[in-house]
Amino acid sequence: MATITLKNINKSFDNIHLVINKFDLEINDGEFMVLVGPSGCGKSTLLRMIAGLEIPTTGEIWISDTLVNPVPPKDRNIAMVFQNYALYPHMSVFDNLAFGLKLRKVPKSEIVKRVHKAADILEIKDLLDRKPKQLSGGQSQRVALGRAIVRDPKVFLFDEPLSNLDAKLRVHMRAEIKKLHRQLGTTMIYVTHDQVEAMTIGDRIVILNDGVIQQVGTPLEVYQNPANRFVASFIGSPPMNFLEGKIENGSLLAEKVSINLSEAKNIHKLEGENVIFGIRPENIHLTEDGLELPVVINEPLGNETFLHLQAGQQILIARIPALESIQLGDRVRVSFDLSKACFFSSKTEDRLFFT
Amino acid sequence: MFAYPFLWMISATLKPEIEIGEIGLWSSNFSLRSYKDVISKIPIGRALLNSLFVSSSVTFFVIIFGSIVGYALSRLRFFGRDFIFGVILFTMVIPFQITLIPMYILMVKFGWVDTYLSLIVPGMISTFGILLFRQFFRDIPQALVDAAKIDGCNDFQILFRIIWPLSKPVIITVGILSFMGSWNDVLWPLIVIRVQKLMTMPQLVTIFKVGGQAEGQLGAQLAAATLLAIPIILIYAFFQRYFIESMATSGLKG
Repeated sequence: MATITLKNINKSFDNIHLVINKFDLEINDGEFMVLVGPSGCGKSTLLRMIAGLEIPTTGEIWISDTLVNPVPPKDRNIAMVFQNYALYPHMSVFDNLAFGLKLRKVPKSEIVKRVHKAADILEIKDLLDRKPKQLSGGQSQRVALGRAIVRDPKVFLFDEPLSNLDAKLRVHMRAEIKKLHRQLGTTMIYVTHDQVEAMTIGDRIVILNDGVIQQVGTPLEVYQNPANRFVASFIGSPPMNFLEGKIENGSLLAEKVSINLSEAKNIHKLEGENVIFGIRPENIHLTEDGLELPVVINEPLGNETFLHLQAGQQILIARIPALESIQLGDRVRVSFDLSKACFFSSKTEDRLFFT
Repeated sequence: MFAYPFLWMISATLKPEIEIGEIGLWSSNFSLRSYKDVISKIPIGRALLNSLFVSSSVTFFVIIFGSIVGYALSRLRFFGRDFIFGVILFTMVIPFQITLIPMYILMVKFGWVDTYLSLIVPGMISTFGILLFRQFFRDIPQALVDAAKIDGCNDFQILFRIIWPLSKPVIITVGILSFMGSWNDVLWPLIVIRVQKLMTMPQLVTIFKVGGQAEGQLGAQLAAATLLAIPIILIYAFFQRYFIESMATSGLKG
């Protein structure tokens, strides 16, 4: 097991544009850390740098007490699971699992023991003689996990390992990986662009955008207390609703809509300022005497319904119980749970204060 | 229609000299006399072994060196990589006739004239082979290379244990083209080999035909040509399936 420390990491492929910008992060021993962000934000590059497949332009990468910048991937004692599994097509499943051990000159009996142990954990024992092309997506992913497990590495790296699986299998494998982490207790770093995956699987989440850390925290922390508008919009599905306007007399004056925020904590501090008001869909409630808004889209999901409400030029999405019988075009009255509202600066889009 | 000239040639080698001019394939006087003449007049067996040795060696080295260079040009990042590739490509436009004399002078200086080295070493690197390997290797997923690196492979292990097994089509394509090119080469052996025991088959057959040993016997000349063609036909027939498959998968047009 190992800690990972990234100190002031910068990465540029062309010496002009920084893909990773002043990145500092400490990952604890045995922690399951998820790097999440939109495509092209640099999360996979970061993982590849930890693996040794890319060299940081500047900065230091430490695995426990070792500065690993000059250490080749094979000597970092890490294992990586790739998005497209990267199983060697010409080798059987057994050979795929055993390949890394053979190269390390592990005795044959030990190889057999370790391969069978990993196969037991992942329930792939009956697949050992097959070639990768004879495996389904889920089976291939298990074998890829097995290849990582047999090496008994200090750190597991996952590069969007579930992206190629269908939705049902993805949920199943997500649980499997979490179970595996509990079983092995090894430090794991997991890259994904799927915020649901990030929320459900990680001990802590790093949210990245344009190579810069936006926030680091537990899933609930980043959900409930987003550091800026990007985090608030990226984490959560549907995302947080935003209304931009000016605070006057305790109310938000947005385009063609005014919301009374006088009950929001510390709202007086924002008097006269242009702000972005943020509220999560579940914190918008149907009431009898609130703000009246027309329903423009009605999305019943069975257990709940998403109502798209026209608020001036903007759309607010409310998550309401499925029992409510609301039709398209109806006008509904809503109130906001202001204790859970967020305010962001119109200029920097950073959170103004934590309510 | 396509096979007729070849069948006619084989038929002519079996006919008496007087019947060779006829257009028909059949004769009631078929014999192996022309072949016996060839075998008795020139050391065709030795030449066959020489050709096999030289062509196999050239093919082996073209595959080894071509794949190593192709790997470097497709997978390694180093300063000037694309420039080097450009220079290698440029050498394709230089006709062999231009490098012939300088190459011969080199062989003389090295003392390699009348040795196998002069037949093998100049053919060990093939620009076309490098180009084919590079293009094929570029299509192999990077994740496989990364996985191999993490598993503990160095670059040679990645090439020979991961990439090679996935590159059979291009290896066979380069192999067949190199073998055929080396097998059919007459000009270069004629320049660097003067000793009969080192001569390759096409060289020996050419000398046999134009050097007067055939004594104007068309049957013997055709028999020598047939003997020259048979090994390459057998090899092609054996690898035909792979060759056609590889032409399709390596993006080459036949």
